[in-house]
Amino acid sequence: MTRTRVFVPVLALTAATALLASSCSSPSEEKVTLSVATFGDFGYEPLFKQYEKDHPNIKIQNRVAAFDAHNQQLLTQLASGHGAADIEAVDEQYLPQLRQSADKFVDLASMGAQQLSSQWAPWKWDQGLLKGGGVLGLGTDMGGLAMCYRPELLAKAGLPTDREQVAKLWPTWEKYAEVADRFTAANTGAKFADSAGTIYTAMINQAPENYFARADDAFIGDRNPNLKHAFEVAGAIGAKGQTAGVTPFSQEWNVAIKQASFATIACPAWQLKQITEAGGAENKGKWDVTTVPGGSGNNGGSFLTVPKQGKHPKEAYDLAVWLTAPAQQKQLFLSAGILPSEPAVYHDPEVLNKTDEYFSNAPTGKIFASSADDLRPNYRGTRDRDVAPEFGRALGRVESRKQGAEEAWGQAVQGARNVLK
Amino acid sequence: MMRAPASEDLGQRTPAPPAARPRAPRGVRLRRGAPLLFVLPFLVILVVFGVLPLVFLAWISLHDWHLVNGDNGFVGLGNYVALLGDPNFYNALWNTVTIFLEASVPQVLLALGIAALLNRPLRGGRLWRTGILLPNVVSVVAVALVFGQLFGHHYGIVNWLLGQVGIAPIAWQSSFWSSHLAIAVMVIWRWTGYNALIYLAAMQAVPKELYEAAALDGAGRWRTFWSITVPGIRPTILFTVLTSTVGGLQLFTEPQLFDSSGVAGTGGDSRQFQTIVMYLYEKGMGTLDAGYSAAISWIVFVLCVVFALVNVGLVRKLVRAA
Repeated sequence: MTRTRVFVPVLALTAATALLASSCSSPSEEKVTLSVATFGDFGYEPLFKQYEKDHPNIKIQNRVAAFDAHNQQLLTQLASGHGAADIEAVDEQYLPQLRQSADKFVDLASMGAQQLSSQWAPWKWDQGLLKGGGVLGLGTDMGGLAMCYRPELLAKAGLPTDREQVAKLWPTWEKYAEVADRFTAANTGAKFADSAGTIYTAMINQAPENYFARADDAFIGDRNPNLKHAFEVAGAIGAKGQTAGVTPFSQEWNVAIKQASFATIACPAWQLKQITEAGGAENKGKWDVTTVPGGSGNNGGSFLTVPKQGKHPKEAYDLAVWLTAPAQQKQLFLSAGILPSEPAVYHDPEVLNKTDEYFSNAPTGKIFASSADDLRPNYRGTRDRDVAPEFGRALGRVESRKQGAEEAWGQAVQGARNVLK
Repeated sequence: MMRAPASEDLGQRTPAPPAARPRAPRGVRLRRGAPLLFVLPFLVILVVFGVLPLVFLAWISLHDWHLVNGDNGFVGLGNYVALLGDPNFYNALWNTVTIFLEASVPQVLLALGIAALLNRPLRGGRLWRTGILLPNVVSVVAVALVFGQLFGHHYGIVNWLLGQVGIAPIAWQSSFWSSHLAIAVMVIWRWTGYNALIYLAAMQAVPKELYEAAALDGAGRWRTFWSITVPGIRPTILFTVLTSTVGGLQLFTEPQLFDSSGVAGTGGDSRQFQTIVMYLYEKGMGTLDAGYSAAISWIVFVLCVVFALVNVGLVRKLVRAA
């Protein structure tokens, strides 16, 4: 008797759970709900509405998370085998890491993605490829590099403020470092750059290879002269106290932008939006954009992938193709300033004529398009993300003068080797 | 423990007892089984969410296990051997222990003091008692974010205050001691009130006669506190030391969010405030080395047990000496 009393609720609970589980697993046939997981701002909302209107059987669910949280969620969802969205956006920094787990994704080549390849800038298409020709993701935006600066602060230091003239100040990073010295000597109260890390990242993204060799994915971080050179130039600017020492996207970085604490920042296309948000209305028209030292480069930009665990790979693929098609990329640039990765789009007159009001009406369309044209594609190794932080931290130690560049570099190389062991 | 329902089943299935045997034994058996039945739900949860993951974790730690791709082969104790030769592991361990000491010692003393104050008749006593628990109810993420800003290098309020008395701004995150101090302050802020409340409850159970006797003998407040109150609440102090040891060794959220440069879990440019759980996180979520991560978490588990035993022993001795 006692026993029944205890077990009835347990039984009921078990039964209820079983019922719940079975009702969940029955798929509805006619209406398809596709989830799309992105991070930050992809500007997709209006496009989703349009797509739903054109495809009455499709309903789109957008999940937006912060950059790091998004990628961590994706990793755990891939590991556990469920929970991932039908379409997952992946930043190019994270993409190489996922190549190790390519079997968790639909090979988009099997859906016919190859025939679309000519849409994208060749390097962008190549970034989304797997060894052996599989396609992991379709390119969305790219992170064309430019230099954002505050004309007012440059003027205070007796430097030119006009876009073209400013660009002539720093054809190379060595010249940029010289301008940093001149700016600092003028004692404006502001720093020249936001952080050594930003300079270093921009520089290494202009080199064809960083930590790993394009040929065989072997670690070359210890002997790649481009890397060492970037480390020394950026480290020297940092060690001289010419940076504000604020990490991009941190709270302090936001405040530094708001309070005009630094004069220049190498900015990928997608960062303009963050500067706009951090600066707020009172900084409108206080910024301008010009060419980055070295002329071009790419930092960031994403891909749309289709995890295998999704129930509707075909529908997901169709949506991804549509979202990354030239017409939509153009619309995204005009409405949200998201830089297209397709030459036909960034050469479109409407795109070229786009100016950014917040950045003193700088011709961002033209600046970023020419940055994209000159771009030398950069290779990221499969384990890039494992070793890059070692060098980032080493640079931080140089910037905060805890270590000299030589010592910090040695420690970073050693740390990288340990990670790769 | 799991035998409880089974043995009962057995009782059910046995054919009706022969007339010669009295009914009593079955009733006794039932009565013995009943308490076990009552704790059964807890045991089931403990096994499913506590024991099984621990066992699975041990299994993973014996493999080269990629977080996403899974098992890459058995490596025996390879992960543990690598861990014991890993300088970053010792660094994290050292950070964890020092932050624990920096946070726990002042915390216990402060909590004892606050509890002693609240133990006296006080206007609005209930308000104070509720108030000191408040920091503990605030979400730890909010605490860490707010403190992270208070300790900001350029625009933090702490540096501003220091500036008022002519002290140059400190880059709290960037050195060993300053970062530890800031993190310890967060932990102290969060847990002192909680411990004080537990001490207070224990203090109220100390027999009044002892205080009266001490007063008759002419003992002062200070002497009474150390000779009557503290020994009187010894079991409670041991309990809080135990919980804060376990909590301290697993410290993660505060230092993780204190790192303004990102969520990699490395605890600063020189790993100056990377705790052992942060290192576990870095290896698991960063390098996706689940096998190594699992080995770290087993070591943390063992360390928790060892440290808890050592601490309890130490405190027991100290209190006895007092």
